Amino acid sequence: MTAAAISRSATSAATHLSARIREAAAGGEQLRIIGGGSWLDANRPVRASSRLTVGEHIGIVEYEPGDLTITALAGTTLDEITRATAAHGQWLTLDPFGNPARATIGATIATASYGALAHHFGTPRDVTLGVEFVSGTGDIVRGGGRVVKNVAGFDLTRLVTGSWGTVGALTEATLRLRALPTTQSTLALGVTGDTDVERVRAAVRRLPFVPMAAQLLDATLASTLGVSKRGAALIVRLGGNEDALRAQCAEVSAIAPASEVGIEVWRRLQTSEPPRAATLRLSRLPSMFTATWRDSVHIAERWPGSFCHGDPGRGVCRIVLPLSDDTNHASVRAILDVPFDGGRIYERLPASLWSSLAPSAMRGPLDRGVKAAFDPQNLLNPGIFGELQ
Amino acid sequence: MTAARVPHSAVPNHPVDAALAERLAEIVGEKRVLFRAGELLAYSSDGLPGYSKQPSIAVFPGTRDEVVAVVRELARRGAPFVPRGAGTGLSGGALADGVVLLGLNRLTRVLAIDSENALAVVEPGVVNVALSRAVSAYGLHYAPDPSSQAACTIGGNVAENAGGPHCLKYGVTLNHIASLTVVLPNGDIVTLGSASGEQEGYDLLGAFVGSEGCFGVALDVTVRLARNPQSVRTLLADFTSIDAAARAVSAIIASGILPAALEMMDAATIRAVEASIYAAGYPTDAAAVLLVELDGPSAGLDADVGTVVRLSRESGARDVRVARDDAERAKLWQGRKKAFGAMGRISSHLVVQDAVVPRTKLPEILARVHDIAERHRVMVCNVFHAGDGNLHPNIGYDANNPDEAARVHAAMREIMRACIDAGGTVSGEHGIGLDKMPYMEAIFSPESLGAMCALRHVFDPDRRANPGKVVPMHSCREWHAAPAARAESLQRA
Repeated sequence: MTAAAISRSATSAATHLSARIREAAAGGEQLRIIGGGSWLDANRPVRASSRLTVGEHIGIVEYEPGDLTITALAGTTLDEITRATAAHGQWLTLDPFGNPARATIGATIATASYGALAHHFGTPRDVTLGVEFVSGTGDIVRGGGRVVKNVAGFDLTRLVTGSWGTVGALTEATLRLRALPTTQSTLALGVTGDTDVERVRAAVRRLPFVPMAAQLLDATLASTLGVSKRGAALIVRLGGNEDALRAQCAEVSAIAPASEVGIEVWRRLQTSEPPRAATLRLSRLPSMFTATWRDSVHIAERWPGSFCHGDPGRGVCRIVLPLSDDTNHASVRAILDVPFDGGRIYERLPASLWSSLAPSAMRGPLDRGVKAAFDPQNLLNPGIFGELQ
Repeated sequence: MTAARVPHSAVPNHPVDAALAERLAEIVGEKRVLFRAGELLAYSSDGLPGYSKQPSIAVFPGTRDEVVAVVRELARRGAPFVPRGAGTGLSGGALADGVVLLGLNRLTRVLAIDSENALAVVEPGVVNVALSRAVSAYGLHYAPDPSSQAACTIGGNVAENAGGPHCLKYGVTLNHIASLTVVLPNGDIVTLGSASGEQEGYDLLGAFVGSEGCFGVALDVTVRLARNPQSVRTLLADFTSIDAAARAVSAIIASGILPAALEMMDAATIRAVEASIYAAGYPTDAAAVLLVELDGPSAGLDADVGTVVRLSRESGARDVRVARDDAERAKLWQGRKKAFGAMGRISSHLVVQDAVVPRTKLPEILARVHDIAERHRVMVCNVFHAGDGNLHPNIGYDANNPDEAARVHAAMREIMRACIDAGGTVSGEHGIGLDKMPYMEAIFSPESLGAMCALRHVFDPDRRANPGKVVPMHSCREWHAAPAARAESLQRA
């Protein structure tokens, strides 16, 4: 079979899901899409009687290291991709918060989830080159392709990225890879007080290079990750050839006294979230990061065991409130439901709070039009964007 | 405007809608509405020679309010229209065939520069290079740099998701747009994306960028700016075979070094450039040259330069030269950026393609292109973004010679087929427009094309914006029926 024939033909995963969705359509049966299952504890509201399992479609379909691209079935975990690519000195620069041993590439794209590496490399929207998905009508659709530059046709890849399964169930994706830097180093800098946050933010922005990642950790998280025992800290991930790395370390150390903390800290940060939590992301322009950080710390301080961290380059902070069986949801609500003039995204919430706290992501006629075009019967993850509220 | 001003149609069988022309003149002023054949001639083609389509009326609003008023007037009358920036596109995408051409090149204001957040808000008619000039005092630039950057507009770049040599490292237009205000074909104004905080929901901004004028008209564009690199090194590597140059490209990419740009020019291109006023000092006896640019902090840059030099030599480079100063660097780039212009000097007509192949397939594809050209007795010039695998094979010819024209088009079709068979795609940055539409069915299934039509339907249910472009009409008919009807038929099935 020629490559062209491959690009037009459907994976068996898609053929299988298409039949299942058509069957569901005939019976008006609504479906909750399940990948690795790790997003289920986000408790997003989905009104579905049945499940559509995509996580069983696992495997790397094509990996040619010289192309720096990889094509994998949606159920492939991030760790599996890491293992395959590391063998060739390459990596997929997506490290969404959660457990990469369980997180699938399909769910990462469907939720547009990202982690610390987004500081330099962007989000799934910047890394995903092509997709195959099955729409709510059972059509098997391909967008983009397997090459790194592509403007052929309207951008279905971007449409499906971050659509939470409401446009279609992802079955395969092609992603851009990067070469792993020859050498890496992670430095931690102590940060005390708002003045210091602003000074450090401005200094990071003025660096003559963009670090691979830069995360400000509050005192609780800095201590949990073993980075600092004396308050908040900024951790910065650097990499390049030896000359470049030496210069980068010198530049960062000039901002504040810095210590090497080891690359493992990033995996610890990625997996730092307790099994049950309410998680909120606040964002404004990067220049307003200090104010956003203050707002985040203010929320975190009011809940025992909670912590926050943020990316000064992206202007985004993330607040994690651990929950237990005894948690009073009204009190969670009281903590989170504070006025905020920027972007507010809930990642995880107790089921009872979604409808009252999270605004509908179906903002206007175009959003409703997209849903109607790709899933006219509202079969796929109905309610996950709050559209049925 | 008096009715006497609109006596004859510029388009055979397309009577000028005198009432529409008059109404548009009330909005934008008489001088900004063209409808005579002579006046419209300049708008009958874009950057790609070979097509000639005459608009019925060309209208040039000067303000955002005028754009909105024009689009609403067209919506009220159900009139199709084609948005156009500078008309430098290479896919026939900005051609209006008997419909209204909406020129946006008068909206040239940079509305705001936020240097702290590296953002700028611009009107759609701002010229690409003018934006970089406007922000240069802040040590910033706008990274996507199509070869037409001295003329092309940001609005056009958004419509085409334009690329350029430096997209290898910095990404295409899509990666540099933070938000857009858009007037939809029905006259509604919407904001897509957000520069000042994350939003959940469909990535309608991502859908709009690259929609080739089919989804609406951008009124303002918030772009992300890039910081000027501390240091830049530009290298010219000289090869005695195309295959050796292609192998050097693969070796550089595989080494993990990400050049800011990695461009290839073959012997025919080199000779055309060197014979023109854009002569850059390229070696005229080389089979191919690579133009490699590395940028970033000074520390570590020379080590990367050393690696690129070594890999080029190991792949068979005869010579590798590093530009000594900005003047030499500018000269090397001018030859590359003006290569199409230099070839235009030699031939009256030019076809240029924009296929992309996986980078490891470059040596194989370039050999195929050579064979195909020989077989059809045409001269293919290759000047392209090698680091991305984005080929621009182009053939100069005389369109008045039917035999030659037929051979040229047959060769191009075979080249495209070879690129598709290698796992590639038909456009990396020029867009589909009219020119590449026939290839869409070779790379996308009917279901995928149908899904693209469905997406267009969301933005423009009447298909009045840039009608007849990007997705073949019959593909749309297959999907076409209203979603409710489709659901019904599914239930019946």
